[in-house]
Amino acid sequence: MRLQRCLLALALSLFATAARAELVVAVDTRLGITRLSREEVVNIFLGRYRKLPSGQAAMPIDQPTSSPLRKEFYRRLVGKDLSEINAYWARLIFSGKTSPPMQTENTEDVGPLIQAIPGGIGYLERSQLTPDLRVVLEMAP
Amino acid sequence: MKLIPHGLLLRSLIASILVVLVAGMGSLAYTVHATSEQTRQRAVVRFDQLLHTVERTLQAACFVKDEGLASEIALGLLGNSEVFEVRIIESGRELAASRRQGPAAGSDGSPLALQRAIHSPFEPARIIGEIHLVADPQVIAAEISAQVRLAAVQVGWQLFFVAASVAGAMLLFVARPIASMSNRLHGMDPVSGERLAIPPGHANTEIGRLANDVNQLADRLVVALQEERSLHRQREVDERKYHAIFDNAETGIFIIDRSGTVISANPAFHRELNLPPSDAPAGGLRLLDLPWETLTPLTPLIEGPFVDDTAHAGDVCLHDAGGQRRWLNMVLSPIGDGLLQGVVHDVSTLKEAEALARRQAITDPLTGLANRHGIEQRLRDGVASLAQGQSSGLALVMVDLDGFSKVNEGIGLPAGDEVLRVVTSRLLSCVKESDTVARLAADIFVVMLQNVSRSATALKVVGRIVNLLRQPYLVEGSPIVLHASIGIALAPNDGEDVPTLLRHAELAVDKAKAAGGDTHVFFDPTLSRIAEHRRQLEKDLRQALHKEEFVLFYQPVVDLHARRLVGAEALIRWRHPERGLVSPDAFIPLAEQTGIIDEIGLWVFDSVCRQISAWRAAGHDYRISFNVSGRQIPDGLSPEILAETLRRYAVPPQSIALEITEGVLLADVDQARAWLDAAHGLGMRVYLDDFGTGYSSLSYLKRFPVDTLKVDKSFVLDMHDDGNERTLVEAIIAMGRSLGLDVVAEGVESAAHADLLRHMGCHYAQGYHFARPLPVAEFEAAAGHIAAQLAPAAAR
Repeated sequence: MRLQRCLLALALSLFATAARAELVVAVDTRLGITRLSREEVVNIFLGRYRKLPSGQAAMPIDQPTSSPLRKEFYRRLVGKDLSEINAYWARLIFSGKTSPPMQTENTEDVGPLIQAIPGGIGYLERSQLTPDLRVVLEMAP
Repeated sequence: MKLIPHGLLLRSLIASILVVLVAGMGSLAYTVHATSEQTRQRAVVRFDQLLHTVERTLQAACFVKDEGLASEIALGLLGNSEVFEVRIIESGRELAASRRQGPAAGSDGSPLALQRAIHSPFEPARIIGEIHLVADPQVIAAEISAQVRLAAVQVGWQLFFVAASVAGAMLLFVARPIASMSNRLHGMDPVSGERLAIPPGHANTEIGRLANDVNQLADRLVVALQEERSLHRQREVDERKYHAIFDNAETGIFIIDRSGTVISANPAFHRELNLPPSDAPAGGLRLLDLPWETLTPLTPLIEGPFVDDTAHAGDVCLHDAGGQRRWLNMVLSPIGDGLLQGVVHDVSTLKEAEALARRQAITDPLTGLANRHGIEQRLRDGVASLAQGQSSGLALVMVDLDGFSKVNEGIGLPAGDEVLRVVTSRLLSCVKESDTVARLAADIFVVMLQNVSRSATALKVVGRIVNLLRQPYLVEGSPIVLHASIGIALAPNDGEDVPTLLRHAELAVDKAKAAGGDTHVFFDPTLSRIAEHRRQLEKDLRQALHKEEFVLFYQPVVDLHARRLVGAEALIRWRHPERGLVSPDAFIPLAEQTGIIDEIGLWVFDSVCRQISAWRAAGHDYRISFNVSGRQIPDGLSPEILAETLRRYAVPPQSIALEITEGVLLADVDQARAWLDAAHGLGMRVYLDDFGTGYSSLSYLKRFPVDTLKVDKSFVLDMHDDGNERTLVEAIIAMGRSLGLDVVAEGVESAAHADLLRHMGCHYAQGYHFARPLPVAEFEAAAGHIAAQLAPAAAR
């Protein structure tokens, strides 16, 4: 009984964290990009057009599969469940022309990877931002 | 049952086959159309379903512009046998295209092509590309033709059965019954009562009604035929009847043409025209060739009807073989075609009777002379020849036997007739053959003398007539002497037309009669004027009473001894609207002759009574006398009327005095005496007027109830101191006194005469010395004046 109550509380807190999480899309400040539209973000992450406005190739970085942020990001970006996103990529992988974004092992890796990979672009909680990262789109819930 | 060319069965068969064919074609065309449409729609549905299965992959391929994936999809779609070609386009760029090997699509009209939009997988509202699918036309066509074949077979069978059943029904219900009726009609005799049988089962169908209609028509035809036959029979009978009438008629009936040629005629025609009887129609006989006395009336008789298209009738005279004249009445009526129908019958007897009647109409049966009509006719002829200058003149001598009525009354009518016959023969002996003697009325004869222009010539004849008529007539052995009043009028001097001449001769006769008869008078225009004047006067006189133009004047009568006014003599005056006051002398004789005197007399008596009544009411007890004419006695002023009027006005009889003359007493002694006795018996006074001028027979004074004598004014006026008149007046007065009669002196014009008369013992007097006759209005004043005039004498 007690355990159940604890689990429920945990689930609720997790949900609340995800829901209340301030998700932002960020890039390396060095890229000199200040702002990206939602559509540009969609094109980059879902494989339609993977270039930054500057003409540089964009490298999208996904959160780990288990991360609630990932689920929240796609929900907020295109209103899709992760299963749907996965089915989408499953179809495309068949021809091999377009691949899904690179996926990190840990949530903490996203920030450094953005900086490390040229043209890297990723999403994370605002709290995880570092000064080297620049928010180009705020993902409002 | 054979199929008649153009027969109902064939026609309905052809019609139903045509209808079936057209309907079949239509149905087939519709089936083809509908089937192909359905097939296309089904294909579209299938394509949509097909596309749906690859929709998401297609969306993803288009989203990321993956040509490889797109080609894969296209090839997959071609795996469907119906798909012929697939093209995937992304934002205007062909991403993949694939088509099946085989004949080019679009070679067969419009191939089924489908185009669907491809939406973004993440924004359903956003279109990111499109896919084109083209169906394989052969597959579609094959499906359509399979469907159509099935439908065609179905429709074909249905239509075949419909056509067959229509033809069968036509044969059974229409063609066969009609054919059987037709066969029956061919040999049917409606007159013998045969009728069409109604085909079994058709009692209530159009066929049955048709059969009934045919039967009713047959009934009517039979009836009409019978009527026609009976009419025909009747016509034959009529024709025979009319032929009999034509042949047996007593009147000649015939038809002629415009030239008068006889076309047809009955036996009576031959009889009437005295022609030999002929059986053959009187061909060639011309009406105008017959022995007519004259063609004058016949020619217009034949021409007339052609001119005005009406019947013309006329009498024509035929000389028959024996030289006899035969009068025929002929009536010709136009009957069209330039023909005339004629009727002719013998009117000879009628003509003779007519001539006789005409002669009798102008002949006096007693003497055989011309009567009034006859002489008028002769006179007209004479006047006409005078006007044409064929004669120098005419003399009309009218002879009126004087006193002939006495012969009739005295000796009797047969004797009178005998005298008239003798007069006739004497008159006839006085004139020439060319002259005419006629009898106008009972005793009035007229002699018309031809070619007499001078009165002297006429006078010679008149002299002979007068001499002969004066010869005595022997009637029943005793001689009678007659003479005549003769009036003569000469044409053209005394008149140029018949009525004028006769009237003028009559006026001349009247003049001769007035002169006492036994004389002759030539007409003179003054006679005419007098007659006209008299006629006018008579006319006025007849109206005068109604117009109240008569008035009574009163001349006072005084008592010479008592010296007072005792009464008056009422004297009538006529206030003529144009002539003024007319004295009685001018109109009383005329009134007596015309009988108007009776009305006037009644008015006078009535007026006198009313006046006395008025005076009595005013306190005057006057006695009024008035003159009574002989004509009024006894009926004009009957004693009954006298009594009734006196009663009505409550006038005492002694206030009235009737003045009569000796003439009255002379005319009819007994009648006058009876009347006078009656009047006197009522209490009225009787005055004998104008005493001394006539016979003045003393015996009358004894025989008649006379109360008073009136001395005629001629004696009084001429009364000198020692003249005869004075002696006469004195004698009359003395005689009156001795007979117990009062005496009234008339015409007293001076005081000396009045005094003288008083001395002579005369009681009463009237005259201008006292007063002239006065209107009532002035009478009162005159009465006062007379009283004053008499007063000094009384004082003397």
